Amino acid sequence: MLAAALFFLTCAQAAFAGIEEGRQKAQVCGACHGADGNSMIPATPSISGQPAQFIVTQLFMFREGKRKDAQMSPFASSLTNADLNDLAAYFSAQKPVPLAHKTDADKAAAGKRLSEQNNCVQCHGRTLMGQQHIPRIAGQHVDYLRTQMRGFKAGTRFDMDGQMSSAAQALSDADIEILVDYLAGLVVR
Amino acid sequence: MKSLKLIPIAALLAASFSGSAFAQAPAAAPAPPPSWQQGRSAEQDKSTLHPFPPHFTGRASKDLPLDKIKVPAGFKVEVWVEGVPEARSLTMGDKGTVFVGNRNLANVYAIVDKGGKREVKTLLKGLNTPNGVVFHKGTLYVAERNRILAYEGIESKLDSPPEPRVVIDNLDPNKAAGHFWKFLAMGPDGKLYFNIGAPGNIVLPDYNHATISRVDPKTGTMEAVAHGVRNSVGFDWHPKTKELWFSNHARDWVSDDLPNDTLHRVSKKNMHFGYPFCHQGDFLDPVFGKDRTCKEFDPPAAKLGAHIAPMGMRFYTGKMFPAEYQNNIFLAMHGSWNRTTKQGYNVVRVVVDDKGKVAKVEPFVTGFLTDEKADPPMWGRPVDLLQMKDGSMLFSDDFNGIIYRISYAK
Repeated sequence: MLAAALFFLTCAQAAFAGIEEGRQKAQVCGACHGADGNSMIPATPSISGQPAQFIVTQLFMFREGKRKDAQMSPFASSLTNADLNDLAAYFSAQKPVPLAHKTDADKAAAGKRLSEQNNCVQCHGRTLMGQQHIPRIAGQHVDYLRTQMRGFKAGTRFDMDGQMSSAAQALSDADIEILVDYLAGLVVR
Repeated sequence: MKSLKLIPIAALLAASFSGSAFAQAPAAAPAPPPSWQQGRSAEQDKSTLHPFPPHFTGRASKDLPLDKIKVPAGFKVEVWVEGVPEARSLTMGDKGTVFVGNRNLANVYAIVDKGGKREVKTLLKGLNTPNGVVFHKGTLYVAERNRILAYEGIESKLDSPPEPRVVIDNLDPNKAAGHFWKFLAMGPDGKLYFNIGAPGNIVLPDYNHATISRVDPKTGTMEAVAHGVRNSVGFDWHPKTKELWFSNHARDWVSDDLPNDTLHRVSKKNMHFGYPFCHQGDFLDPVFGKDRTCKEFDPPAAKLGAHIAPMGMRFYTGKMFPAEYQNNIFLAMHGSWNRTTKQGYNVVRVVVDDKGKVAKVEPFVTGFLTDEKADPPMWGRPVDLLQMKDGSMLFSDDFNGIIYRISYAK
């Protein structure tokens, strides 16, 4: 087990090198995403505590023009691979702060049920905190989540492997509302 | 009121067109699982097994444990070039340019020689899953998920590639889930061969899914060459018999050891290799195998191991390696995820005898798999191979964006 842990550590360090370098480079990101990655802007996602590989992957896709956003694309266009890895190292190491959002108990139960029926937990993890290239959606802003889910359903949101577009087809607009309300209210730590 | 009634109908339509794998599901049914989980049993519901995504930025070779790579005595593996995003399929131009395709990105990369130094160049942009690349008589052909493009005279226009000619289009009209990326190779008959993978883990494919097909690059006429092929992303022709050989990925979520991924030989027309009814030539599918028998189908040339993910395969015809390697197959194993104890993540050597039978399969390049129980278990993943003019061989590693060179010296 120790060998495994050491190996993993080596890998992680190799790929996601500099938290400190990332902190320097993250200053411009902080204007919207928050200095520690906890966004105060409902349409802007929180990126604190996101899996490093998720952050790198999305920045890479913005840079390569596969995922497009009026605000993000210009920022990403000039980043080097080292920038991507440093930023990911920094933001993945920041502690997610729970949102002020409160979900009613009965709605939370409905949201939990939907998240299981629709396989959210299969990729995003049992706690919906994400893994590898898959994002944390627990404690994420309602507005941001709603926009993404509707985009996936409409087929307009970049989707690397088609999994989310496919999953979103089964969701009604009402389902999406229940889900995003549930996800935003989850306590992250 | 009208609009209220329209919403469920729209939802139902959307659901039924969301991929042929799930076309039979009515709108009220639970959401389809992600395609890699499709076919999982109730007992496997809590399984934590999952595929491993690549590092899109690549990783620097200096940070990797290259000393773990092992090859037989006399052989050597070195890093040939790094920084090639998600490096997968390889092909080489007449002037020595190496073209590299990938599964998740939009660009095709070219490795060019700049004053004795290798340089990674972004050659083509804005493509849709440009996994398949093959160079033939001055033209680079690229297989996207939905069409095949031809870039004529590409090697003299690397700085301003020409507009492509569309060889064939509409290969993925429903944006099918599952195995949508395509491998591409040029046959001895001058036709382009490519896979159309099954649209899910274990589903009843329509008539052109789960095939290897070919298209005449001059006329665009297409026909199926092999049926019942779940997904093949590597093929080549035997240098002497000119028969097509290909690697194939079998279904997931049966067990750690079943069914085997396979190597196949196409010896006649209209062969059917079993998917989704029979796997590995002798294992009836738990669902689709009902009322069928494996005798209806053509068996594989070799069983390679369950979930081991055989990818690029090339017959060796070079002069550098010892004589016994002549006409052997080198086969890249991308490695297993759907298995509690991982295997693969290597390049194997397949010895084919004079009668076209597989005599031996043995590991050739190993060392990427470092802990078969870890997540991830490996630090690199071989994908495709390419024989160079001097007889050395390249192989790509999409996990790190690195291309390695295998050479031999007495």
